[in-house]
Amino acid sequence: MNWKAVARSAIGTSHQKQGIVCQDYGDYRILDDVIVGAVADGAGSAKHSDVGSRLAVETVLKCFSDISEYPQKQDSQPLSKEEAQKVFAEIVNKVITELQKQADEGDYSVNDLACTLLVFVATPDWVAAMQIGDGFIVMRSQESEYQLLFQPDKGEFVNETTFITSTNAVNEMQVEVIPEKQEFICASTDGLEKVAIRLSDWKPFSPFFKPLEEYLHEPVNPKEDKYLTEFLNSERLNSRTDDDKTLLLCLFDRE
Amino acid sequence: MSVGMPEFVENPENRCPVILLLDTSGSMSGQPIQELNRGLAAFKEDVQKDSQASLSVEVAMITFGPIVKLMQDFVTIDQFTPPILEVGGLTPMGAAIEYALDFLENRKQTYKDNGIHYYRPWVFLITDGEPNDSWRLAAQSMREAEAQRRLSFFAVGVQGADMNILKQISVPERPPIMLNGLDFREMFVWLSASMKRVSSGKVGQAVALPAMGWGQITS
Repeated sequence: MNWKAVARSAIGTSHQKQGIVCQDYGDYRILDDVIVGAVADGAGSAKHSDVGSRLAVETVLKCFSDISEYPQKQDSQPLSKEEAQKVFAEIVNKVITELQKQADEGDYSVNDLACTLLVFVATPDWVAAMQIGDGFIVMRSQESEYQLLFQPDKGEFVNETTFITSTNAVNEMQVEVIPEKQEFICASTDGLEKVAIRLSDWKPFSPFFKPLEEYLHEPVNPKEDKYLTEFLNSERLNSRTDDDKTLLLCLFDRE
Repeated sequence: MSVGMPEFVENPENRCPVILLLDTSGSMSGQPIQELNRGLAAFKEDVQKDSQASLSVEVAMITFGPIVKLMQDFVTIDQFTPPILEVGGLTPMGAAIEYALDFLENRKQTYKDNGIHYYRPWVFLITDGEPNDSWRLAAQSMREAEAQRRLSFFAVGVQGADMNILKQISVPERPPIMLNGLDFREMFVWLSASMKRVSSGKVGQAVALPAMGWGQITS
């Protein structure tokens, strides 16, 4: 009975054509029966955003690993929204500090590391999550439908979003605590948004998520398996999105 | 393993609207209007080379001179037939700007009503003269719209244009551009290249525009 997870990113065809590296990054840590996951999408206009997204994700995961007493202390009581806000704000500030350090070392602006950031912490009984910028977190609790946690942060126009390096990042951060057991959690960057989410009413498209959830039920080791990589690099997907794409999937296996 | 691949939801394409606001007053007669017509054809041809831009870019065309006229409602580029524009009369630029601003807000509402996402619209004004109607209020509305980031406004002057008035319509960050000779073709290819960048642009940030090889920034 524990979390099973996998994280994969694949470069978008437009970046491939321009000879740019993949600017998405996603990873997770399982700490006892708690899973922490993070994904980040480096801004296309930022020179070192691939470094930024990776550093942001790694800093988040390290922060949670450092709070070693965290899972025990919280027991099974969910955080309040205010507590979650506080924890995430601290972590975001830590990420900004690390990005600034990196920028200083490389002698460039912190804006060259601009990226979005989505983070969740899930215990067997509840989930807390945050989002800065676009991308999406979809989850499903027992016997219920897929649910989109946050509406993507967008201005009036599609080419506007907030990055963690934006001055208003902490204020623009969306935070939610779901005080319910979740079976399945998917965090993703915006490269998959238009194939996975119905944009007119922001409903997750279940035929997109269901196979991914079923996949995690399969008795394969997702770390060695090619299913996700093949999907993310498929012609069929690339014909629908030319952006980098990331999937971080987790399943709470109650068997 | 019997698990299938994820299926995709059909969402309408993001739209990338551009309004061409074209001076068709008498002074544009002869070679200028011919070159402008050729430029429009080049615009269509060039946008169509890009599959994403073909799906996203929507163009509308408003002409002024002698009257303000909606020559082309918003269409995707495949539906756009480059017209043979004719010229005559005075230059009601102020009225044209006001018309364009209203027209654009209506379009945005249509997008919103249909759950269609859109990039920041572009308004691209081309003139070789000066307004002969009251234009100051229109200029102010345009500057405000740009300052509130409701659109991006580009003013292009052809030889003879009153660049000083164009400057008063534009925001300081985006001063008017004086076209090199009658190189409309180069200008429209640039517009197309910019639209390709915007529409393929990673959803998420402003894009750097290609260099303008077709005009001089007047400041």
